Amino acid sequence: MKEIKSKLVEAIKATYPEATEKDYEGNRLDFYVNKQCVPSVLTYLKSGLGYIHLSHIAFVDWLEEGEFELIYIVWSPSEKLKVFIRARVERENPLMPNIENIWRQANTYQREAREMYGIQFESFDAPQDLMLEDWEDIPPMRRDFDTEAYANKTYFHRSGREDALDVREAIIERSREEIPDFAKKYSR
Amino acid sequence: MSFFDLKDTLRPFTALKQFGKKPHTINYPEKTVEASDRYRGLHYNDLDDCIGCGNCSTICQNAAIDMIKIDGIEGKNGDSGLRPRVDNGRCCWCALCVEVCPTGSLSLTKDYNYVTDDADAFLWTPGVDNPDGKDRISFSTADGVSLNDFKRIPMPELEGMERVKSFAEAVIGYNEEQARAEASRCISCALCTEACPDHMHIPEYINAIARGNDADALRIIYDNNPLPEMCGKVCTRRCEDVCAIAVRGEPVAIRWLKRYATETALTSEITREIVNPEIKEPNGKKVGIVGAGPSGLTAAYYLALRGFDVTIYEANAKAGGMTMYGIPKYRLPLESLDKQIEYIEKIGVNIKYNTKVGKDISFEKIYKENDAVFIGVGFPKAWTLGIDGEESKGSMQAVNYLHMINADENVEIGDKVAVIGGGNVAIDAARVSARFGAEVTILYRRRIEDMPADWEEIEGAEDEGINMVPQAIPIKIHSDNKGNVKSIEYLLAEMVPDERGGRPKPVAIEGSNTIMEVTAVMGAIGQQGDYSFLEGEYEEKIKVDRGRFAVNDDQQTSDPKVFAGGDAVNRTADAISAIADGLRACKAIDKMLVGN
Repeated sequence: MKEIKSKLVEAIKATYPEATEKDYEGNRLDFYVNKQCVPSVLTYLKSGLGYIHLSHIAFVDWLEEGEFELIYIVWSPSEKLKVFIRARVERENPLMPNIENIWRQANTYQREAREMYGIQFESFDAPQDLMLEDWEDIPPMRRDFDTEAYANKTYFHRSGREDALDVREAIIERSREEIPDFAKKYSR
Repeated sequence: MSFFDLKDTLRPFTALKQFGKKPHTINYPEKTVEASDRYRGLHYNDLDDCIGCGNCSTICQNAAIDMIKIDGIEGKNGDSGLRPRVDNGRCCWCALCVEVCPTGSLSLTKDYNYVTDDADAFLWTPGVDNPDGKDRISFSTADGVSLNDFKRIPMPELEGMERVKSFAEAVIGYNEEQARAEASRCISCALCTEACPDHMHIPEYINAIARGNDADALRIIYDNNPLPEMCGKVCTRRCEDVCAIAVRGEPVAIRWLKRYATETALTSEITREIVNPEIKEPNGKKVGIVGAGPSGLTAAYYLALRGFDVTIYEANAKAGGMTMYGIPKYRLPLESLDKQIEYIEKIGVNIKYNTKVGKDISFEKIYKENDAVFIGVGFPKAWTLGIDGEESKGSMQAVNYLHMINADENVEIGDKVAVIGGGNVAIDAARVSARFGAEVTILYRRRIEDMPADWEEIEGAEDEGINMVPQAIPIKIHSDNKGNVKSIEYLLAEMVPDERGGRPKPVAIEGSNTIMEVTAVMGAIGQQGDYSFLEGEYEEKIKVDRGRFAVNDDQQTSDPKVFAGGDAVNRTADAISAIADGLRACKAIDKMLVGN
């Protein structure tokens, strides 16, 4: 496995010198690449190196850093190695290259990214709604979307839950702690 | 087609060739298909492991989890007594609640078939409604994979053999980045606040540090503790014992985080600027305080804030009591304590130093001149070992030794010291002696794991090259013809289990006498009170019960005008309990004299 990995790192770096790799235990190897390189890296992996299967595209919202991360997971049945191609795109008007032409099933993942994170893809022509219907709020998988507020607004609470207690309050009551008002904004 | 076709007549019988084969369709009698092993179904909660921290309820994005009281589960130290109940009508089985559970008690089972006419039945309490669920767990964090951060940010400290060269503070302290990272491990469950004798607002100040607001953290800390930097360095931190994260990991470094917050204010002026407490108009009432230890200083600080005229009478040249004279300076540097006491004096507390009550001023005078009196005199007198040869030169009490060293006096201990005892005083005396170049051996009658000292102190002593002889009972101190200590004789002991279920008892082994050459012996087997300053009628009026003042829940003694706190009252013998006593007494005095 070590040999396969180092060969792959060599091959990728020869063509994409700015790519950085991160090794994981077992059959996994990650590469961080520029978002413009994504289609060509994936094409190279698929047609040149035997990574013929696109397992998944995952998305991460790096809210504090103002970026989204897209993770293309590809698999080589002959090398038995999972390769993660990671690329970042700015959170403001995110636009990624379209890889539909490399793998047909990327279409669904890209529709998911568009609907759940608001990530757009170049010349990507696919029906709008995937899982949501008439969604008007910010994309719901973004970290600044308040899921709990949405759930509370949308789904009524059934009766019989009025006996719920607050852990902090229960402890304050039992230990007779006197907590000043200005400190309460830091309570859970 | 002819009238009789043999082929068509026989064809139905070809089905007979399947007779006796295993059918490809459903089984008969019908069998329920098991869900796959990793199917995420209904919750299961191990009610004994659960500590009711409420992290599951907080994380739930669907507001599906309530914390409720359950019959038969009482809250106690380290357990809120509440347990989660799930509204399965709202649950989406994301299992975040399982992944943030610090104890690992909450899990998902593969039970998903749950059919009932009663919609309310979907509101159910895992573990109570499905006690057999533990046999069908499909998703749990039992393998240690959790969203909680179980590893503590290590505290930078001086290396053992480097420490022993001087009295420089051994622990270096977190920097900002380390403190924020450590504070972020806290899940704000507040179980710790109940374990703290003073009920400090721990999750609030830790959260303030995590959010980058150290000033607010300091203000929250000073709400009920006027000596937080001292606590931040040497507190017995019972809070960390009950930390929810400690069930499966290393507790949040509550003590070090308090230390970090207090050290952001470098001087007493800055402390005052940040804390900026409201000081009420003088109310004309006077309170006299005996002893400037943690309990006396606490009562004084909060009484001064409430407008009382407060005077502390302190026998020594410096305030702080045992924290000043009992704790070595490599644990609590003088500047740190000075800074805190300066701040308390700035608020308006009057401290009369070198004024021993009963000698320089009578208790009667204090009693008559003030509207209330608080006694925080501690346990100054050491118990003696009660063995032959204890009066030899070079045999001393560890607590007196520490006092003299902290008062900058010169003490002759030679180069081989034996310390008797296993508490913090014993370890402190041993580590101080090592700093004076002595080869130190600690003799303790039980095993090392039975030592009442903090484990960090024990480890620190081991790092500094201090020998420990457990299960050793001293019987005699031998001296030379000049009366100087020459050696100590002790018996080895074996541990005998206690029949009544107590901790094992050491029993001396006959004939195991061992003699160790030493130049000094220090006894550290405990201290007691000294109430000789209470003379005449006060001796009668203020009742002492088994060596401690008898007080009610408000720290009030049998004389309604007199309150008491600290080691002379409570059995926990630590600074934070003394601080709690002082604060309680302050509230009671305020209520009694002003009616607040």
